[in-house]
Amino acid sequence: MSTTILAVVLLSAVGLIAGIAIFVVNRILPKEDESLQMANEIKELLPGADCGACGHPGCFAYAQAVAKNAHVLEQSPCRILAKDEEGSAKLGEFLGVDLSNAGPGAKALVHCTGDSPAIATYNGMQTCAAAVQLAGGEKECPYACVGYGDCAEVCPEDAISIDPDRRVAVVDWEKCIGCGMCVAVCPRGLIELVPADTPQYLGCNYLQRKDIAGRKKCSVGCIHCRMCVKASEGGEVIWNDEKDLPQFSTTPAPDAIEKCPRNIILKTAAFPEGLVAAVATDTDTNEASE
Amino acid sequence: MTVSELIAIFFGMALVNNMVLSKFLGLCPFFGVSKKLSSAFSMGIAVVLVMLVASAVTWPLFHYLLVPYGFEFMRTVIFILVIASLVQIIEMTIKRTNMTLYNALGIYLPLITTNCAVLGITFINIDQQYGFLQALVAALGAGAGFTLVLLIMSGIRERLDLADIPRVFRGAPIAFIVAGLLGLAFLAFGGMVG
Repeated sequence: MSTTILAVVLLSAVGLIAGIAIFVVNRILPKEDESLQMANEIKELLPGADCGACGHPGCFAYAQAVAKNAHVLEQSPCRILAKDEEGSAKLGEFLGVDLSNAGPGAKALVHCTGDSPAIATYNGMQTCAAAVQLAGGEKECPYACVGYGDCAEVCPEDAISIDPDRRVAVVDWEKCIGCGMCVAVCPRGLIELVPADTPQYLGCNYLQRKDIAGRKKCSVGCIHCRMCVKASEGGEVIWNDEKDLPQFSTTPAPDAIEKCPRNIILKTAAFPEGLVAAVATDTDTNEASE
Repeated sequence: MTVSELIAIFFGMALVNNMVLSKFLGLCPFFGVSKKLSSAFSMGIAVVLVMLVASAVTWPLFHYLLVPYGFEFMRTVIFILVIASLVQIIEMTIKRTNMTLYNALGIYLPLITTNCAVLGITFINIDQQYGFLQALVAALGAGAGFTLVLLIMSGIRERLDLADIPRVFRGAPIAFIVAGLLGLAFLAFGGMVG
Protein backbone atom coordinates (compact mmCIF):
# COMPACT_ATOMS: atom_id res chain seq x y z
CA MET A 1 0.00 0.00 0.00
CA SER A 2 2.71 2.42 0.98
CA THR A 3 4.48 1.62 -2.32
CA THR A 4 1.41 2.78 -4.22
CA ILE A 5 1.23 6.04 -2.31
CA LEU A 6 4.96 6.58 -2.71
CA ALA A 7 4.67 5.89 -6.44
CA VAL A 8 1.93 8.50 -6.75
CA VAL A 9 3.94 10.98 -4.70
CA LEU A 10 7.06 10.32 -6.79
CA LEU A 11 5.24 10.77 -10.10
CA SER A 12 3.60 13.96 -8.85
CA ALA A 13 6.92 15.30 -7.65
CA VAL A 14 8.65 14.59 -10.98
CA GLY A 15 5.73 16.16 -12.82
CA LEU A 16 5.81 19.22 -10.60
CA ILE A 17 9.55 19.65 -11.08
CA ALA A 18 9.16 19.29 -14.85
CA GLY A 19 6.34 21.84 -14.83
CA ILE A 20 8.39 24.31 -12.84
CA ALA A 21 11.30 23.79 -15.25
CA ILE A 22 9.07 24.64 -18.23
CA PHE A 23 7.76 27.70 -16.42
CA VAL A 24 11.26 28.93 -15.61
CA VAL A 25 12.54 28.37 -19.17
CA ASN A 26 9.49 30.16 -20.53
CA ARG A 27 10.34 33.17 -18.37
CA ILE A 28 14.06 33.18 -19.19
CA LEU A 29 13.66 32.90 -22.97
CA PRO A 30 13.11 36.05 -25.02
CA LYS A 31 9.52 36.68 -26.07
CA GLU A 32 8.37 35.54 -29.50
CA ASP A 33 10.01 37.32 -32.37
CA GLU A 34 8.38 40.73 -32.94
CA SER A 35 8.07 40.29 -36.68
CA LEU A 36 6.30 37.00 -36.01
CA GLN A 37 3.81 38.63 -33.70
CA MET A 38 3.29 41.31 -36.31
CA ALA A 39 2.85 38.65 -39.00
CA ASN A 40 0.16 37.07 -36.87
CA GLU A 41 -1.64 40.40 -36.60
CA ILE A 42 -1.27 41.05 -40.35
CA LYS A 43 -2.63 37.60 -41.06
CA GLU A 44 -5.80 38.52 -39.21
CA LEU A 45 -6.30 41.38 -41.67
CA LEU A 46 -5.68 39.24 -44.77
CA PRO A 47 -8.50 37.37 -46.50
CA GLY A 48 -7.14 33.98 -45.46
CA ALA A 49 -8.03 32.33 -48.76
CA ASP A 50 -4.46 31.02 -49.23
CA CYS A 51 -4.96 31.45 -52.98
CA GLY A 52 -1.32 32.21 -53.76
CA ALA A 53 -2.11 35.07 -56.16
CA CYS A 54 0.45 37.27 -54.42
CA GLY A 55 3.19 34.77 -55.20
CA HIS A 56 3.61 33.59 -51.61
CA PRO A 57 2.66 30.13 -50.37
CA GLY A 58 -0.42 31.09 -48.41
CA CYS A 59 -1.57 34.07 -46.39
CA PHE A 60 0.71 33.49 -43.41
CA ALA A 61 3.84 33.39 -45.58
CA TYR A 62 2.64 36.60 -47.21
CA ALA A 63 2.07 38.15 -43.78
CA GLN A 64 5.59 37.16 -42.73
CA ALA A 65 7.05 38.73 -45.87
CA VAL A 66 5.00 41.89 -45.31
CA ALA A 67 6.01 42.05 -41.66
CA LYS A 68 9.66 42.07 -42.69
CA ASN A 69 9.22 44.55 -45.53
CA ALA A 70 6.05 46.58 -46.10
CA HIS A 71 7.03 47.22 -49.72
CA VAL A 72 6.04 43.65 -50.51
CA LEU A 73 2.48 44.95 -50.40
CA GLU A 74 3.14 47.14 -53.43
CA GLN A 75 5.37 44.72 -55.31
CA SER A 76 3.00 41.77 -55.01
CA PRO A 77 -0.37 43.08 -53.85
CA CYS A 78 -3.00 40.83 -52.35
CA ARG A 79 -5.50 40.40 -55.16
CA ILE A 80 -8.46 39.82 -52.90
CA LEU A 81 -7.77 42.83 -50.71
CA ALA A 82 -7.35 44.99 -53.82
CA LYS A 83 -11.10 44.70 -54.36
CA ASP A 84 -12.01 45.08 -50.72
CA GLU A 85 -11.55 48.78 -49.96
CA GLU A 86 -12.46 48.50 -46.31
CA GLY A 87 -10.04 45.63 -45.71
CA SER A 88 -7.30 47.40 -47.66
CA ALA A 89 -7.79 50.54 -45.63
CA LYS A 90 -7.54 48.55 -42.39
CA LEU A 91 -4.31 46.85 -43.44
CA GLY A 92 -2.92 50.11 -44.81
CA GLU A 93 -3.72 51.84 -41.53
CA PHE A 94 -2.07 49.04 -39.55
CA LEU A 95 1.13 49.28 -41.59
CA GLY A 96 1.02 53.01 -42.29
CA VAL A 97 1.04 52.46 -46.05
CA ASP A 98 -1.33 53.86 -48.67
CA LEU A 99 -2.75 50.93 -50.59
CA SER A 100 -5.17 52.83 -52.80
CA ASN A 101 -3.06 52.59 -55.95
CA ALA A 102 -1.76 49.05 -55.92
CA GLY A 103 -1.98 48.68 -59.71
CA PRO A 104 -4.53 47.01 -61.94
CA GLY A 105 -3.65 43.42 -61.11
CA ALA A 106 -4.47 40.55 -63.42
CA LYS A 107 -7.66 38.91 -64.64
CA ALA A 108 -8.36 35.59 -66.31
CA LEU A 109 -9.76 35.28 -69.83
CA VAL A 110 -11.19 32.24 -71.61
CA HIS A 111 -10.21 32.16 -75.26
CA CYS A 112 -13.30 30.34 -76.43
CA THR A 113 -16.95 31.20 -76.94
CA GLY A 114 -17.95 27.58 -76.79
CA ASP A 115 -20.14 27.07 -79.83
CA SER A 116 -18.31 24.05 -81.23
CA PRO A 117 -20.85 21.25 -81.89
CA ALA A 118 -20.56 17.98 -80.03
CA ILE A 119 -19.61 15.08 -82.28
CA ALA A 120 -19.92 12.38 -79.64
CA THR A 121 -21.58 11.65 -76.32
CA TYR A 122 -19.27 11.53 -73.34
CA ASN A 123 -20.41 9.69 -70.25
CA GLY A 124 -17.15 9.42 -68.33
CA MET A 125 -15.85 11.34 -65.35
CA GLN A 126 -17.30 14.81 -65.43
CA THR A 127 -14.00 16.68 -65.48
CA CYS A 128 -12.24 18.45 -68.33
CA ALA A 129 -9.00 16.64 -67.60
CA ALA A 130 -10.69 13.25 -68.01
CA ALA A 131 -12.79 14.29 -71.01
CA VAL A 132 -9.84 15.44 -73.13
CA GLN A 133 -8.05 12.15 -72.45
CA LEU A 134 -10.68 10.28 -74.42
CA ALA A 135 -10.14 11.00 -78.13
CA GLY A 136 -9.73 14.69 -77.39
CA GLY A 137 -13.16 15.35 -75.94
CA GLU A 138 -16.62 15.34 -77.43
CA LYS A 139 -16.55 18.71 -79.14
CA GLU A 140 -15.51 18.98 -82.75
CA CYS A 141 -13.00 21.77 -82.29
CA PRO A 142 -9.82 20.42 -80.70
CA TYR A 143 -9.22 23.81 -79.08
CA ALA A 144 -12.70 24.36 -77.63
CA CYS A 145 -13.52 24.76 -73.97
CA VAL A 146 -14.50 21.30 -72.77
CA GLY A 147 -17.02 22.78 -70.39
CA TYR A 148 -16.84 20.44 -67.38
CA GLY A 149 -15.63 23.26 -65.20
CA ASP A 150 -12.26 22.15 -63.82
CA CYS A 151 -11.44 25.85 -63.70
CA ALA A 152 -14.66 26.73 -61.86
CA GLU A 153 -13.81 23.98 -59.39
CA VAL A 154 -10.40 25.40 -58.41
CA CYS A 155 -11.42 29.06 -58.48
CA PRO A 156 -11.13 30.31 -54.88
CA GLU A 157 -13.56 33.17 -55.53
CA ASP A 158 -16.22 31.29 -57.53
CA ALA A 159 -15.60 33.75 -60.33
CA ILE A 160 -15.92 31.17 -63.10
CA SER A 161 -19.24 29.73 -64.16
CA ILE A 162 -20.11 27.39 -67.01
CA ASP A 163 -22.59 28.74 -69.51
CA PRO A 164 -25.04 25.79 -69.82
CA ASP A 165 -26.13 26.59 -73.39
CA ARG A 166 -22.75 27.06 -74.98
CA ARG A 167 -20.83 24.81 -72.56
CA VAL A 168 -18.08 27.32 -72.01
CA ALA A 169 -16.40 28.79 -68.96
CA VAL A 170 -17.19 32.44 -68.33
CA VAL A 171 -15.09 34.56 -65.99
CA ASP A 172 -16.74 37.20 -63.85
CA TRP A 173 -14.17 39.97 -63.72
CA GLU A 174 -15.85 41.50 -60.71
CA LYS A 175 -14.94 38.44 -58.70
CA CYS A 176 -11.73 37.34 -60.46
CA ILE A 177 -8.62 37.99 -58.39
CA GLY A 178 -6.10 36.93 -61.04
CA CYS A 179 -4.58 34.12 -59.03
CA GLY A 180 -4.02 31.92 -62.09
CA MET A 181 -5.29 28.68 -60.56
CA CYS A 182 -7.60 28.18 -63.56
CA VAL A 183 -4.74 28.78 -66.00
CA ALA A 184 -2.82 25.91 -64.48
CA VAL A 185 -5.75 23.51 -64.49
CA CYS A 186 -7.22 24.03 -67.99
CA PRO A 187 -6.20 21.00 -70.07
CA ARG A 188 -6.66 22.98 -73.29
CA GLY A 189 -4.62 25.97 -72.13
CA LEU A 190 -7.47 28.30 -73.05
CA ILE A 191 -7.28 30.55 -70.04
CA GLU A 192 -4.84 33.42 -69.97
CA LEU A 193 -4.00 35.97 -67.30
CA VAL A 194 -4.06 39.48 -68.71
CA PRO A 195 -3.65 42.93 -67.11
CA ALA A 196 -6.96 44.06 -65.64
CA ASP A 197 -7.10 47.06 -68.00
CA THR A 198 -7.19 44.88 -71.13
CA PRO A 199 -10.19 46.15 -73.10
CA GLN A 200 -10.74 43.29 -75.56
CA TYR A 201 -9.66 39.76 -76.36
CA LEU A 202 -10.12 37.08 -78.97
CA GLY A 203 -12.74 34.51 -78.05
CA CYS A 204 -10.96 31.75 -79.89
CA ASN A 205 -7.74 29.82 -79.60
CA TYR A 206 -7.91 28.13 -82.96
CA LEU A 207 -4.33 27.75 -84.02
CA GLN A 208 -4.31 25.67 -87.18
CA ARG A 209 -3.00 27.62 -90.16
CA LYS A 210 -4.07 25.38 -93.01
CA ASP A 211 -7.33 25.56 -94.98
CA ILE A 212 -8.94 27.98 -92.54
CA ALA A 213 -10.47 25.00 -90.81
CA GLY A 214 -11.96 27.18 -88.09
CA ARG A 215 -14.87 27.89 -90.39
CA LYS A 216 -15.78 24.24 -90.50
CA LYS A 217 -15.14 23.35 -86.90
CA CYS A 218 -16.99 26.15 -85.21
CA SER A 219 -19.38 28.89 -86.16
CA VAL A 220 -17.43 31.39 -84.11
CA GLY A 221 -13.85 30.22 -84.76
CA CYS A 222 -11.16 32.57 -85.94
CA ILE A 223 -10.70 32.22 -89.69
CA HIS A 224 -7.41 34.10 -89.70
CA CYS A 225 -8.72 36.72 -92.11
CA ARG A 226 -6.78 39.57 -90.49
CA MET A 227 -9.64 41.97 -90.92
CA CYS A 228 -9.07 43.18 -87.37
CA VAL A 229 -5.48 44.15 -88.17
CA LYS A 230 -6.54 45.98 -91.30
CA ALA A 231 -9.37 47.75 -89.49
CA SER A 232 -7.21 49.14 -86.72
CA GLU A 233 -5.16 51.93 -88.17
CA GLY A 234 -3.50 52.93 -84.95
CA GLY A 235 -1.82 49.54 -84.57
CA GLU A 236 -4.02 48.44 -81.66
CA VAL A 237 -4.10 44.98 -83.19
CA ILE A 238 -1.06 43.17 -84.51
CA TRP A 239 -0.86 39.73 -86.07
CA ASN A 240 0.94 37.10 -84.06
CA ASP A 241 2.56 35.01 -86.78
CA GLU A 242 3.64 32.32 -84.41
CA LYS A 243 0.12 31.61 -83.16
CA ASP A 244 -1.53 32.86 -86.37
CA LEU A 245 -3.96 34.82 -84.26
CA PRO A 246 -4.44 38.54 -83.64
CA GLN A 247 -2.85 40.10 -80.63
CA PHE A 248 -4.34 43.12 -78.88
CA SER A 249 -2.71 45.92 -76.97
CA THR A 250 -4.30 47.63 -74.00
CA THR A 251 -5.72 50.33 -76.30
CA PRO A 252 -9.41 49.80 -77.10
CA ALA A 253 -9.94 48.81 -80.73
CA PRO A 254 -13.67 49.35 -81.46
CA ASP A 255 -13.13 49.22 -85.23
CA ALA A 256 -11.51 45.81 -85.07
CA ILE A 257 -14.36 44.53 -82.90
CA GLU A 258 -16.86 45.82 -85.43
CA LYS A 259 -15.04 44.46 -88.46
CA CYS A 260 -14.53 40.91 -87.23
CA PRO A 261 -16.71 38.77 -89.52
CA ARG A 262 -17.27 36.21 -86.77
CA ASN A 263 -17.84 38.67 -83.95
CA ILE A 264 -15.36 36.93 -81.70
CA ILE A 265 -13.34 39.90 -80.54
CA LEU A 266 -14.96 40.37 -77.18
CA LYS A 267 -14.99 43.37 -74.90
CA THR A 268 -13.91 42.94 -71.34
CA ALA A 269 -15.26 44.75 -68.32
CA ALA A 270 -12.39 47.19 -68.78
CA PHE A 271 -13.65 48.36 -72.17
CA PRO A 272 -14.51 52.07 -71.86
CA GLU A 273 -18.24 52.67 -71.97
CA GLY A 274 -19.67 54.60 -74.86
CA LEU A 275 -16.65 54.10 -77.08
CA VAL A 276 -18.03 52.81 -80.38
CA ALA A 277 -16.85 52.32 -83.91
CA ALA A 278 -18.26 54.23 -86.87
CA VAL A 279 -21.21 51.83 -86.87
CA ALA A 280 -22.84 51.09 -83.53
CA THR A 281 -22.26 47.61 -82.14
CA ASP A 282 -24.37 45.55 -79.77
CA THR A 283 -21.70 43.05 -78.74
CA ASP A 284 -22.13 42.18 -75.09
CA THR A 285 -19.28 42.06 -72.64
CA ASN A 286 -19.08 38.32 -72.27
CA GLU A 287 -21.07 37.14 -75.24
CA ALA A 288 -20.45 36.93 -78.91
CA SER A 289 -23.55 38.18 -80.64
CA GLU A 290 -24.33 36.49 -83.86
CA MET B 1 35.94 1.20 -20.35
CA THR B 2 38.27 2.21 -23.12
CA VAL B 3 37.95 4.60 -26.01
CA SER B 4 37.70 1.72 -28.46
CA GLU B 5 34.78 0.35 -26.47
CA LEU B 6 33.00 3.69 -26.75
CA ILE B 7 33.66 3.75 -30.49
CA ALA B 8 32.24 0.25 -30.75
CA ILE B 9 29.10 1.36 -28.89
CA PHE B 10 28.77 4.40 -31.16
CA PHE B 11 28.95 2.46 -34.42
CA GLY B 12 26.99 -0.42 -32.98
CA MET B 13 24.09 1.92 -32.20
CA ALA B 14 24.43 3.91 -35.43
CA LEU B 15 24.75 1.09 -37.93
CA VAL B 16 24.24 -2.42 -36.55
CA ASN B 17 21.38 -1.72 -34.16
CA ASN B 18 20.08 1.16 -36.21
CA MET B 19 17.00 2.67 -34.54
CA VAL B 20 14.89 2.77 -37.70
CA LEU B 21 16.05 -0.12 -39.81
CA SER B 22 16.75 -2.85 -37.27
CA LYS B 23 14.79 -1.82 -34.19
CA PHE B 24 11.88 -0.27 -36.14
CA LEU B 25 11.63 2.69 -33.80
CA GLY B 26 10.89 6.22 -34.96
CA LEU B 27 9.20 5.15 -38.16
CA CYS B 28 6.79 8.09 -38.08
CA PRO B 29 9.41 10.79 -38.71
CA PHE B 30 11.29 8.34 -40.95
CA PHE B 31 8.42 8.52 -43.45
CA GLY B 32 7.04 11.91 -42.50
CA VAL B 33 10.12 14.12 -42.67
CA SER B 34 12.10 12.27 -45.33
CA LYS B 35 10.67 14.09 -48.33
CA LYS B 36 13.17 16.93 -48.34
CA LEU B 37 16.88 16.68 -47.59
CA SER B 38 17.00 19.99 -45.69
CA SER B 39 14.15 19.27 -43.29
CA ALA B 40 15.38 15.68 -42.85
CA PHE B 41 18.71 17.05 -41.67
CA SER B 42 17.04 19.48 -39.25
CA MET B 43 14.86 16.69 -37.91
CA GLY B 44 17.90 14.43 -37.49
CA ILE B 45 19.76 17.10 -35.56
CA ALA B 46 16.72 17.69 -33.35
CA VAL B 47 16.48 13.97 -32.60
CA VAL B 48 20.20 13.74 -31.79
CA LEU B 49 19.81 16.67 -29.41
CA VAL B 50 16.70 15.28 -27.73
CA MET B 51 18.24 11.80 -27.42
CA LEU B 52 21.38 13.19 -25.83
CA VAL B 53 19.51 15.38 -23.34
CA ALA B 54 16.98 12.64 -22.60
CA SER B 55 19.74 10.11 -21.90
CA ALA B 56 21.66 12.60 -19.80
CA VAL B 57 18.59 13.24 -17.63
CA THR B 58 16.99 9.79 -17.44
CA TRP B 59 20.17 7.83 -16.63
CA PRO B 60 20.87 9.60 -13.30
CA LEU B 61 17.14 9.72 -12.61
CA PHE B 62 16.93 5.92 -12.92
CA HIS B 63 20.13 5.08 -11.08
CA TYR B 64 19.93 7.63 -8.26
CA LEU B 65 16.19 8.00 -7.73
CA LEU B 66 14.34 4.91 -8.95
CA VAL B 67 16.84 2.13 -8.14
CA PRO B 68 17.67 3.10 -4.51
CA TYR B 69 13.99 3.23 -3.55
CA GLY B 70 12.97 0.18 -5.59
CA PHE B 71 10.82 2.01 -8.10
CA GLU B 72 12.34 0.47 -11.26
CA PHE B 73 8.84 -0.53 -12.36
CA MET B 74 7.94 3.11 -12.75
CA ARG B 75 10.64 3.89 -15.28
CA THR B 76 8.30 4.00 -18.31
CA VAL B 77 5.89 6.55 -16.90
CA ILE B 78 8.63 8.67 -15.31
CA PHE B 79 10.72 8.65 -18.50
CA ILE B 80 7.75 9.64 -20.64
CA LEU B 81 6.96 12.50 -18.29
CA VAL B 82 10.53 13.75 -18.23
CA ILE B 83 11.11 13.40 -21.97
CA ALA B 84 7.83 15.15 -22.77
CA SER B 85 8.82 18.11 -20.60
CA LEU B 86 12.29 18.16 -22.17
CA VAL B 87 10.92 18.23 -25.70
CA GLN B 88 8.51 20.97 -24.66
CA ILE B 89 11.44 23.06 -23.43
CA ILE B 90 13.52 22.35 -26.54
CA GLU B 91 10.61 23.21 -28.82
CA MET B 92 10.05 26.45 -26.95
CA THR B 93 13.73 27.32 -27.25
CA ILE B 94 13.86 26.65 -30.99
CA LYS B 95 10.64 28.58 -31.59
CA ARG B 96 11.90 31.63 -29.79
CA THR B 97 15.43 31.62 -31.16
CA ASN B 98 15.41 30.09 -34.63
CA MET B 99 12.16 30.54 -36.53
CA THR B 100 13.56 29.08 -39.76
CA LEU B 101 14.42 25.80 -38.09
CA TYR B 102 11.06 25.79 -36.34
CA ASN B 103 9.25 26.24 -39.65
CA ALA B 104 11.32 23.46 -41.23
CA LEU B 105 10.42 20.98 -38.48
CA GLY B 106 6.77 21.99 -38.31
CA ILE B 107 4.55 19.39 -36.74
CA TYR B 108 7.31 16.85 -36.22
CA LEU B 109 9.04 18.60 -33.37
CA PRO B 110 6.11 18.10 -30.98
CA LEU B 111 5.95 14.56 -32.34
CA ILE B 112 9.39 13.83 -30.87
CA THR B 113 7.61 14.05 -27.51
CA THR B 114 6.09 10.66 -28.11
CA ASN B 115 8.84 9.44 -30.41
CA CYS B 116 9.58 5.84 -29.52
CA ALA B 117 13.17 6.18 -30.75
CA VAL B 118 13.88 8.74 -28.02
CA LEU B 119 12.15 6.67 -25.35
CA GLY B 120 13.78 3.56 -26.81
CA ILE B 121 17.35 4.76 -26.45
CA THR B 122 16.80 5.59 -22.77
CA PHE B 123 15.52 2.05 -22.14
CA ILE B 124 18.38 0.53 -24.12
CA ASN B 125 20.81 2.50 -21.97
CA ILE B 126 19.28 0.93 -18.87
CA ASP B 127 18.86 -2.59 -20.27
CA GLN B 128 22.42 -2.75 -21.59
CA GLN B 129 23.62 -1.55 -18.16
CA TYR B 130 25.66 1.23 -19.71
CA GLY B 131 27.53 3.71 -17.54
CA PHE B 132 26.71 7.41 -17.84
CA LEU B 133 29.37 8.14 -20.47
CA GLN B 134 28.50 4.98 -22.39
CA ALA B 135 24.83 5.97 -22.31
CA LEU B 136 25.66 9.37 -23.79
CA VAL B 137 27.79 7.81 -26.53
CA ALA B 138 25.03 5.31 -27.28
CA ALA B 139 22.49 8.13 -27.55
CA LEU B 140 24.82 10.04 -29.84
CA GLY B 141 25.30 6.95 -31.98
CA ALA B 142 21.59 6.18 -32.14
CA GLY B 143 20.85 9.78 -33.11
CA ALA B 144 23.60 9.77 -35.73
CA GLY B 145 22.26 6.51 -37.16
CA PHE B 146 18.74 7.94 -37.23
CA THR B 147 19.98 11.09 -39.00
CA LEU B 148 22.01 9.01 -41.46
CA VAL B 149 19.02 6.86 -42.42
CA LEU B 150 16.79 9.93 -42.66
CA LEU B 151 19.30 11.64 -44.96
CA ILE B 152 19.72 8.58 -47.18
CA MET B 153 15.98 8.13 -47.37
CA SER B 154 15.28 11.77 -48.21
CA GLY B 155 18.05 11.78 -50.82
CA ILE B 156 16.48 8.75 -52.48
CA ARG B 157 12.97 10.20 -52.24
CA GLU B 158 14.07 13.48 -53.79
CA ARG B 159 15.35 11.49 -56.76
CA LEU B 160 12.21 9.33 -56.79
CA ASP B 161 10.16 12.48 -57.32
CA LEU B 162 11.87 12.88 -60.67
CA ALA B 163 11.89 9.22 -61.62
CA ASP B 164 9.36 7.58 -63.88
CA ILE B 165 7.70 5.27 -61.38
CA PRO B 166 4.73 3.09 -62.38
CA ARG B 167 1.58 4.88 -61.35
CA VAL B 168 0.47 2.41 -58.68
CA PHE B 169 3.80 2.66 -56.87
CA ARG B 170 3.96 6.44 -56.69
CA GLY B 171 4.09 8.10 -53.29
CA ALA B 172 3.93 5.92 -50.18
CA PRO B 173 4.26 2.46 -51.82
CA ILE B 174 7.63 3.14 -53.41
CA ALA B 175 8.77 4.76 -50.14
CA PHE B 176 7.97 1.53 -48.27
CA ILE B 177 9.79 -0.54 -50.87
CA VAL B 178 12.82 1.71 -50.63
CA ALA B 179 12.69 1.46 -46.84
CA GLY B 180 12.70 -2.32 -47.10
CA LEU B 181 15.72 -2.31 -49.41
CA LEU B 182 17.51 0.10 -47.08
CA GLY B 183 16.79 -2.26 -44.20
CA LEU B 184 18.31 -5.14 -46.16
CA ALA B 185 21.38 -3.04 -46.90
CA PHE B 186 21.82 -2.17 -43.22
CA LEU B 187 21.53 -5.85 -42.34
CA ALA B 188 24.98 -6.21 -43.85
CA PHE B 189 26.45 -4.14 -41.00
CA GLY B 190 25.49 -7.03 -38.69
CA GLY B 191 28.92 -8.63 -38.80
CA MET B 192 30.87 -5.42 -38.40
CA VAL B 193 30.75 -4.72 -34.68
CA GLY B 194 30.50 -7.61 -32.26
